Amino acid sequence: MTDRIQTKLRTAMAAVLIGACAALSMNAPAHADSNIAGKKVIFVPIAMGISLTEGWARRMKQHADMYGYTFEVRDAAFNSGAMTELLAKAISEKPDVLVVHNPTVQLLARQIKQAESEGIKVLQINLQSNQPSTAFVGANWDRIGREIAEDIVKECGAGSGKSGKVAIIPGQLTAADSVIMNDAAFKVFKAHPEIQVVSNQASDWEPEKARQITATVLQQNPDLCAIFGHWDVHTMGAGNAVKDAGKAESVLVYSTGGGDSVACKAVEDGIQDRIWSYDADGQGRDAGTMIDLLLQGAKAADGSMMIAESPLKIIKAGPDYDASLCWKM
Amino acid sequence: MVDATIQLVGRNRRQGVLERVVATVTVVLIVVFSISIDGFATLGNLRVILSNAAAIAVLSCGMAVVVITRGLDLSLIAQMIAGALVFSLLVAGGSPATVAILIAIATMLLIGLLNAWLIAYVEIPAMLATLASAMLIAGLFRFAVLQGGFLLLLPKTDPTVAFFAGDVVRGVPVSVALMAATLVATWLLLNVTARGRVIYAMGDNFQSARLTGLPVRTTTIIVYVFAALTALLAGLITSSASGAVDFRTVTNGTLLFDVILVVVLGGIPLRGGRGGVRNIIVGLALIAVLRNGMTLLNFTTQTQDMLRGLVLILAIVTDNYLNPRDTETDTVGDL
Repeated sequence: MTDRIQTKLRTAMAAVLIGACAALSMNAPAHADSNIAGKKVIFVPIAMGISLTEGWARRMKQHADMYGYTFEVRDAAFNSGAMTELLAKAISEKPDVLVVHNPTVQLLARQIKQAESEGIKVLQINLQSNQPSTAFVGANWDRIGREIAEDIVKECGAGSGKSGKVAIIPGQLTAADSVIMNDAAFKVFKAHPEIQVVSNQASDWEPEKARQITATVLQQNPDLCAIFGHWDVHTMGAGNAVKDAGKAESVLVYSTGGGDSVACKAVEDGIQDRIWSYDADGQGRDAGTMIDLLLQGAKAADGSMMIAESPLKIIKAGPDYDASLCWKM
Repeated sequence: MVDATIQLVGRNRRQGVLERVVATVTVVLIVVFSISIDGFATLGNLRVILSNAAAIAVLSCGMAVVVITRGLDLSLIAQMIAGALVFSLLVAGGSPATVAILIAIATMLLIGLLNAWLIAYVEIPAMLATLASAMLIAGLFRFAVLQGGFLLLLPKTDPTVAFFAGDVVRGVPVSVALMAATLVATWLLLNVTARGRVIYAMGDNFQSARLTGLPVRTTTIIVYVFAALTALLAGLITSSASGAVDFRTVTNGTLLFDVILVVVLGGIPLRGGRGGVRNIIVGLALIAVLRNGMTLLNFTTQTQDMLRGLVLILAIVTDNYLNPRDTETDTVGDL
């Protein structure tokens, strides 16, 4: 009889314990480990001092301050050689997250692979490399290239009464944005043979080079219908050349960029006509959020690259113009 | 005695050969491009060639004068951007254009004086001194003045910017007029003024010039200040046209290379002592025509750089063959 009482007591005790545990765990709030203070994030951009990267860094720093992790910037100042060295040094410091801005699709691919293999999570921002990594935050260049090409076809193609001539001005032909946008645009143009690409000369992202290229192309093709510049900053030079030649009414100047107040001013002044903005300020916030999640342990279930695509804002001259589409530094 | 005279005459005849070779190549290129490219041989294209070449022409004038004294000014591009930056920031801040220009000129005077002081008084070789000052100027202006930025965008609505980007009379851009004015000023400096003689003497044989009492130090100052002022002019022309003051022009390095190319190709040897405005024009013609043709043929920037490098190597090899170093011209430690 004592045995049965003992067994019953033991069962009762176990039941109480289990019940207590259940009660406690139900009352305790479920939370992931958000104690990421003290972790280390390093950002290696192509260059600071331009609104795009300054805008990103500002937002990412805000997130860092909020959670208490460190955020450092290593500025390569447009020097590719320096960038590979800075990235190597950053990898050797074993940060928790590395944010990388790729000048070309190939330059940093090997180092990104090395970082990932050493357990450093790599977030590629806006310009991707051939090497996938843990995460990517940025514009969908394929979509931008395709949308701009389709708009050009609408404005310059069959039935528009224009010559169908288009000049493309990339930054560098091997940069991710130019590679993908040109692929997408040429695919669209192939289906519309009345569109003729008269020039595809890279301007090294410099407004002066873009201006000289545009002046020469306009001279050669006075009936040029549209210019597709791959970055709004260097397209300023192209737009100025168009304006100086007195062709601001007949040539449509397209570009894409971070969409800061300078871009809106260019549209207001008639230097550029349509800018596909990927909103660098919003991208900065997306990147900051992605870093927070990465530090808390987020990763794709199948190990593929997590992608946060940037929504687009189209800044158009004319009745649809809206100055609030631009952000201010 | 007669032999020596014949030898001298022979050497003089050899001097103009590179210039003539380059001029012939330019003419050949013009013919080839006119035939193969539609729209190359038009007045409009000539206008484009001239206005695209204006900045490099002005810079070449400054560089040529420096090179004739057997110097080299590697800080020209940094000075160009620094000058344009000072002017643009002042105008954007609301100062009247004349005040902004005066302050910009004063800044360039200081920079020219710095270079000249390092070379004439501290006696550092020109290449090293100007290399150092280039980095100093670029860093100082980018960080202290532009606060770390790379790019300053200029509104075309500003009257001075519009002036530099506009036309003097219909069909003649202000940039082309300024280019012509600089060429005339250079010609006057080299051929009419007494300093011009000193400039040639310094390049020909610096020690003799100094020992015979010529004012070599003050002439060095004049030469580097002249270069700084041409840099300012080129900066104003470029920034007004493209609507941006861009520090990456300094770091990308190809513009400085182009300027040296124009000077060397035109027949002004880096050893100094020879050359003039005609050489600048010849070199400029080749580079401007080559650039324009390559753009119209849709060559990538990398291919264009490669071809220009090839042309420079050929020019230097030809120059070395035509103007061989002998005991007269070869001294230790040049460049």
